[in-house]
Amino acid sequence: MADFEPKIIVFACNWCTYAAIDLAGTSRLSYPPNVRVIRVMCSGRVDPQFVLEAFADGADGVIVAGCHPPADCHYIEGNYKAYRRFELLKRILESFGIEKERFRLEWISAAEASKWVQVVNEMVSDLRRIGALKPKLEVD
Amino acid sequence: MDEVRIGVYVCHCGFNIAGVVDVKKVAEYAKTLPGVVVARDYVFMCSEPGQDLIKEDIKNQNLNRVVVASCSPALHEITFRTAISEAGLNKYLLEMANIREHCSWVHHEKEKATEKAMEIVRMAVAKARYLEPLEELEVEAKKSVLVLGGGVAGIRAALELANYGFDVYIVEKSPTIGGKAALIGYIDPKTKGAEVVSKMVEKIRDCPKIQVFTSAELVQLTGSAGNYVAKLRLNPRFVNSRCTRCGECEEVCPIEVSNEYNFGLDKRKAIFIPFKNAYPPYYAIDYRVCVKCGECEKVCRYKAINLKEEAKIVELRVGAVIIATGYDPYRPFKGEYGYGLSPNVITLFQLERLLDPESPTKGELIVGNKVPKSLAFIQCVGSRGTTLGAKSYCSRMCCTTAINSAIKIKEKYPEMNVYIIYKDIMTYGSDESLYEEAGKKLINFIKFEEKIPKVTISPEGLFIDVFEYTIQQEIRIPVEAIVLSIGMLPPRDIEELIAVTRVSCGGEGFVREAHLKLAPVEAPTKGIFLAGCITGPKNILESIRMGSAAAAKAMSLLSKGKITIEPMIAQVDEERCSGCGICVAVCPYSAISIKSVNGDRIAKVEKALCMGCGTCNASCPSGAMQHLGFKDVQLLAQTVAALRGESYG
Repeated sequence: MADFEPKIIVFACNWCTYAAIDLAGTSRLSYPPNVRVIRVMCSGRVDPQFVLEAFADGADGVIVAGCHPPADCHYIEGNYKAYRRFELLKRILESFGIEKERFRLEWISAAEASKWVQVVNEMVSDLRRIGALKPKLEVD
Repeated sequence: MDEVRIGVYVCHCGFNIAGVVDVKKVAEYAKTLPGVVVARDYVFMCSEPGQDLIKEDIKNQNLNRVVVASCSPALHEITFRTAISEAGLNKYLLEMANIREHCSWVHHEKEKATEKAMEIVRMAVAKARYLEPLEELEVEAKKSVLVLGGGVAGIRAALELANYGFDVYIVEKSPTIGGKAALIGYIDPKTKGAEVVSKMVEKIRDCPKIQVFTSAELVQLTGSAGNYVAKLRLNPRFVNSRCTRCGECEEVCPIEVSNEYNFGLDKRKAIFIPFKNAYPPYYAIDYRVCVKCGECEKVCRYKAINLKEEAKIVELRVGAVIIATGYDPYRPFKGEYGYGLSPNVITLFQLERLLDPESPTKGELIVGNKVPKSLAFIQCVGSRGTTLGAKSYCSRMCCTTAINSAIKIKEKYPEMNVYIIYKDIMTYGSDESLYEEAGKKLINFIKFEEKIPKVTISPEGLFIDVFEYTIQQEIRIPVEAIVLSIGMLPPRDIEELIAVTRVSCGGEGFVREAHLKLAPVEAPTKGIFLAGCITGPKNILESIRMGSAAAAKAMSLLSKGKITIEPMIAQVDEERCSGCGICVAVCPYSAISIKSVNGDRIAKVEKALCMGCGTCNASCPSGAMQHLGFKDVQLLAQTVAALRGESYG
């Protein structure tokens, strides 16, 4: 299990989190290479279906990240829409037997490169601990 | 769809990428991906020879998609879009794979970084397979601007725009332009507010490009950036420009109301001139209080009064709107620091009127029938969470205004004891010199912290009890007058403004800018700009500057006479749309409406209003609404490619 390398899909909004990930690069911060970033214009664009698809295809973790509420969103309130959708999705995921450590909704501003690094570090170590995603639903 | 022919270009970025990532291996790997016909690596893809590689391949290899694996799209997406469009390819057929900021700069293990870079390229190729050519739309834009609010911010914006040749319409609710700055005695020790405003108003008067509508309101705003239609209601003024300001009408008018232009210090008639340099420079009748007795009409020798005048609706076509409707002074409740219980407790705005030579007292500081021997300012009234019901923000102008006025008072009445009872002094920037000057003039500064001062009104006089923080002692100050340094509130009618213009409010109740750092002065809706205190407390200079800034933004939007609409916006598949209207509810820009097409309810996107966030796409239950450039199929392809390596579909 020590060698387990989780794969994490990240949906990052263009204006805050994607910029923070860029900043982590220009600041030459360091974090584990387990994340794959998909750029969307707004966290409000992320369809819960994408998260389910990612888990179905073998992601060990998913992060949806956008701008801080209340007022950082480039599109007025897309972050609130993401918040509503994913607070609900969290409950659904748990009922599927997907541990809560596997899904995170994060607010990371364009300046918070260190928060991005911290989130990745935490999630990678959490997922290393709980291991690969094994669907717990039994099907006849 | 034609056969997909993708070219992949892996950049070394000198050693920035190639120092960690095995770029040759990435390029070789890219060649194995479905749809890829050519993959190359090069030392600097963004250089001219690098771009030429791409352009030649587009022509020779008939490429119809391009993936550049290099830095962040924030840096060079535009560069490569331009390059591929120069080679005849639609510029939206480009996908960037960020293997520098997201990979080589943050990972140090070469093998793992190379593996990640390969996957990032795989994801980009997967998305690129589903990219579509998109066309930018151009719409004609009117070179005219509606400025809401005729205060200093609005006037400044109007002047800038008119100088540049734009047609400007100023819409002001009250019967005069000038705003509250015209009522401030002194905005700094040498400058009278009224003077600054009258200089600006003179320019407005002489400018044929600017049309001023007073006693007017915006009642409807439709259309979008470049082509707004503004519907104004012009409330009747009842007095026309034949008025010579002889004043006979005012003498016979039987109605007397509190004079808002002196903040309630005196009374005015229903027919009145707001202040000396009001513009337009003739009488107005307050239609809300006039009883139409007809006395003024009878006495007027110039036929300047027509009481039968009715409200008119006017429609204007403008390219942009600047909202500069300002603020309201904080309204202390009765009994707050003795306000309303003693004529000797006044507000900072009333003090400003008293200090103005045009005031009812001709500039004499007469409070409660006489010039007081001692006077205390109490700061942060309604601001910084000081009292119950106070706003949490600092109102920015009250410290400087109070200190400036205190200096003026000391100059005029050197014997008067002046106190400033404060929480913290916020004379930021160059205004700090006023604070120093106040010290030299022996103005007494008394500091309080959590425990707010208490005002006692007794037959012996006014007393202020305050726990002086510096000496940690309770003290009692007898004074003859108290000035409450009241802060700023969002204007009372902000709800109507929001309903009409679709702007939104921040936590403090003022209108929000689209983004404080990335899109200042802009409202989230394209073509609507903000200036002055409508976005939060500001001093007069800051408001004026923001007026200029808003004008510059409006000019840069409209100066070409055309507006380009980004094509990465929402698009409806009419076959799939069931007209449920969920997208209408989630759209932050009211860009979507439900239209009836041959009896079917179908969502329609107003292209010029859509800003391309994609939240409608995420909420559409049937997948009919798609965010171009970020369609479901494109993002899912990217997701699947990150995990499985097989193609999506």
